[in-house]
Amino acid sequence: MILAQITGSLPAAVGCFAAAFGVAMIGAKAVESVGRNPEASGKILVQSILGMALAEAVAFYAIFLT
Amino acid sequence: MLRLAPALVLLPALSSAAVLPHSTDLGFEIFGLPISNTILTTWVIAALIIIGVRLTVGTPQLIPGKGQAAVEGMAQGLRDTLEPIVGKKMIGKTFPILCGFFVFILFMNWSGLLPGVGTIKYAQPGVGMPIVPGGDPTINWLEAVRPANTDLNTTLALSVLSFGFWTYFVLRYAGIKALAYDLFGNKSDKKEIGMTMWVLLSFIFLAVGGIEVVSILFRLVSLSFRLYGNVFGGENLIHALANIVPIIIPTAGAMLEVLVGLIQAFVFTLLSAVYIGLICNHEGGHDEEHAH
Repeated sequence: MILAQITGSLPAAVGCFAAAFGVAMIGAKAVESVGRNPEASGKILVQSILGMALAEAVAFYAIFLT
Repeated sequence: MLRLAPALVLLPALSSAAVLPHSTDLGFEIFGLPISNTILTTWVIAALIIIGVRLTVGTPQLIPGKGQAAVEGMAQGLRDTLEPIVGKKMIGKTFPILCGFFVFILFMNWSGLLPGVGTIKYAQPGVGMPIVPGGDPTINWLEAVRPANTDLNTTLALSVLSFGFWTYFVLRYAGIKALAYDLFGNKSDKKEIGMTMWVLLSFIFLAVGGIEVVSILFRLVSLSFRLYGNVFGGENLIHALANIVPIIIPTAGAMLEVLVGLIQAFVFTLLSAVYIGLICNHEGGHDEEHAH
């Protein structure tokens, strides 16, 4: 008897979870640093978008390259 | 429902089938080159961009008119964002291509939101998904118009272009010597750590350079997959939402896609700029301030 079953690609799931976690951490830190220094918000926006883009790439590696 | 059908074809509501993961050929050729649905969209949207900019700016004048001032304002905003990244010396040379990337990708992303894109379909005999539940299963419905960046070919071409320009700018303005030093060179101080340690460290820097080269080559993969994944995922999201609830709810997905399209265009431009700036931009924050 099968009670529960995991289907789909486990590597993709783990990769997407990790990427989402990374993006969330970058977002949280960016918000925190804007709160500390509101004048630097422009610079922080660029840096955090860059970091998010690089963290997000992990998800695509996990989806497409496995 | 039947009476409304001609009007509804333009909405995403009737496209019950999910988006195909790849583009399809439309069945005609130009100079032996098969024309796919994404190529068609690329050409139409690119022509619209060119005509639109021509009409708003006209002949550029010293005292800008309304249209020229608007376009110049937007370009200046992008330039101000990119300038600290690629450096003051390089911004004039790299800005045309970076701005081109931004505008092209932005409008290609947003083209997926136009009515009809991704929803105008043509019939092809064969076993496929029926366009409405319970439809004729012997007809394969394929998209006639498809956003350019939902095709891996387009995004790969863009990242190859970005990589080509990176190579050109680095070799032309930094030189192969600076590039080799940046990748493989020993950056430690010989006097501080002693000769033996310096020689040992050279090997480590050489190995790190090897890893660096692999990561540079992997930019081709990451740039193209990031754009393709985001835009294709967004297109799928809108279609899937429209499949569940035909009205109102897909608007939320479309609003999200406006944002994602802008951010992905910005990310592609920004990453291209950062890659160039990493090698070419050696003015630190302090030097810039002293230069005034």
